[in-house]
Amino acid sequence: MDGNRALCLALARPESMAERTDGEWSTMLAAARETSLLGALWQRAREAGLETDLPEPVALHLQGAAWVAERRAEALRWELEELGRGMLTRMAPPVLLKGAAYLLADLPNAQGRLANDIDLLFPEAEIERAESLLFFDGWAGSHHNDYDQRYYREWMHELPPLAHRQRGTTLDLHHNILPRTFRVRPDAGRLREQSVALPAPWRFRMLAPAHMVLHAMVHLFSETDWERGLRDVNDIHVLVNHFAAREGDGFWEALLVEADALEVTWLAQRALWLCGRHLGTDIPPEVVRRLAASPRARRINPVARWMFHHGSQTRAASSTPLQDGTARGLLFLRGHWLKMPPGLLVRHLFYKAFLAEKEDDTDVQPEPDKHG
Amino acid sequence: MPLERVPLRSLGPTVVRRRLAGDGLLLETGPFVTRIRSRIASVAEGLASVYRDYPVHEPGAFHDFDCELRAPRTLRRFYHPQVLFLSDRRSVFKPLAYHQAYPMLEWGMNWCIASLVQHRLVLHAAALERGGRAVLLPAPPGSGKSTLCAALAHNGWRLLTDESVLLDLDAGTVSGPVRPVSLKNVSIDVIRGFCPDARLNAPVHDTLKGTVSHMSPPQASVERAGEVAEPAWVIFPQYRQGVPARLIERSPGECLTGLIDNAFNYAALGTRAFHGLGGLSERVRSFDFVYGDLDEAMDVFQRLADGR
Repeated sequence: MDGNRALCLALARPESMAERTDGEWSTMLAAARETSLLGALWQRAREAGLETDLPEPVALHLQGAAWVAERRAEALRWELEELGRGMLTRMAPPVLLKGAAYLLADLPNAQGRLANDIDLLFPEAEIERAESLLFFDGWAGSHHNDYDQRYYREWMHELPPLAHRQRGTTLDLHHNILPRTFRVRPDAGRLREQSVALPAPWRFRMLAPAHMVLHAMVHLFSETDWERGLRDVNDIHVLVNHFAAREGDGFWEALLVEADALEVTWLAQRALWLCGRHLGTDIPPEVVRRLAASPRARRINPVARWMFHHGSQTRAASSTPLQDGTARGLLFLRGHWLKMPPGLLVRHLFYKAFLAEKEDDTDVQPEPDKHG
Repeated sequence: MPLERVPLRSLGPTVVRRRLAGDGLLLETGPFVTRIRSRIASVAEGLASVYRDYPVHEPGAFHDFDCELRAPRTLRRFYHPQVLFLSDRRSVFKPLAYHQAYPMLEWGMNWCIASLVQHRLVLHAAALERGGRAVLLPAPPGSGKSTLCAALAHNGWRLLTDESVLLDLDAGTVSGPVRPVSLKNVSIDVIRGFCPDARLNAPVHDTLKGTVSHMSPPQASVERAGEVAEPAWVIFPQYRQGVPARLIERSPGECLTGLIDNAFNYAALGTRAFHGLGGLSERVRSFDFVYGDLDEAMDVFQRLADGR
């Protein structure tokens, strides 16, 4: 079995880890390493009571990854405490998105997950005030050239990322979950109105369950870079399972209603299909039927199915590297096609290809002689 | 895991080449197994000579790391060939000139340990053992660590590692991947003169570090590669020409800061790493060590081991 398949199986049915051969474990670890899912695998193994049955070197790698994830979570919590105590107290509590929200809400996908950035959602009218206030807490913009400034402020759904001057942590300030120039523009007011306060002493809010799941779906399916696609698929899978178990049909009902209200039903269709394909997510047939019947739905053609499937395979372990690479390339084009109207897109890609300063790649390509 | 392991030398050059070109050669170095793939002749020759006594696992067995060396798929390969190092099918370094493929493999394997190991605290240090007690030699490049380490490995000490010490944060013991010692420039002739038994591979010239040659650890060190040791000394070496060998004691606090400076994943492991290194600093004796002559250095380490 290829490592990609083995990893999907382990995420879907943790008991399957007991059946893996040594060779399968090797490629599965590589697949999990690539998608930052090693720590999540350790959690799944523990929940299944398998951690003592794993081959020793496998258990060591998984355990190590879980330690690192634990440390990251601790650092993130600390950063959020600082943020919550600082200048933001002068504003209404913002909505925490993605990894940081999973962590503070103690959702099951947070354990073993490597979260780096902090993402906050503000009303559009207040976002620049938040930016100015945060400056006094040490957060400063990192993208200084005119084009990048315009790109973020005029076309995107977030400001240029902020970085903490001392600690280097990244903070993104959003006013919506999709770019202004995207094919559809969700009503961000709806997201904020239904948001839920996190338990005290946190002064942050988080999205309502249906919105949180839709955001994870929209995030992956508007993405141009599918490198860690499988991790996002796993987030959606775990969140769907968790909320469906906790809230039953109410969750599915809210998901259907909100998907239509935010005009992202077609993205949700694709996301649920991909979760089912990779992880066998338990989706009631009624939900699939109603999604497809919505006026905002769009049929998923076979080429798109092929592209989503292969684009979210891992590089390290898949046995179809050529198809996966082609699918990633197509997803890159698709992501851009959805992100901007054609005229603007041509202009943006021209700028990125010929005029933009090349990004410094020293981080990705360290000097080999520093190691020996 | 059931292990079918045979020494690399028993495979013969044809099988080694075939495995490298095919499904990969699974090489065991201490606690790690690395899958290596490459069609480059100098890689096959280098491995066969440097790792002659190392265990090789059957194809399909477990491996911790996956490494590949190949030429980039560009037109440049026809007039100025280069080589890439890939870990888990991703290139991690800038390409190097083709003739440096073998040292690049060694550096890449070091990179795997420094970057992918999370269950041990990894220190940029050499380590050797005697009587169950280990000496750790943390030092930045250029401090004479590898030369000292190579000399000690042929003078009564068992080599654990020249490059990456693995600290078990629960047990407090250290181990190493028992990989070859990387010698550079004048050190190559120094070690050839000082340890006539030492086995060095053919030097590779014009690398980023000058001329590089890899010394195989003595066979006894390879055979006991799985044995852990209790850390007893942490010594920060510094080679200075013409200076008499001298140990200057460090306090546990100074030892700790020196170890933190030389740790690869200290920040990633947080509190666990702090307590692991703090505990270690309190259990060992620590020194700065300046030396200008290997004979004198051997005496100093002999006295340390004897408790004098």
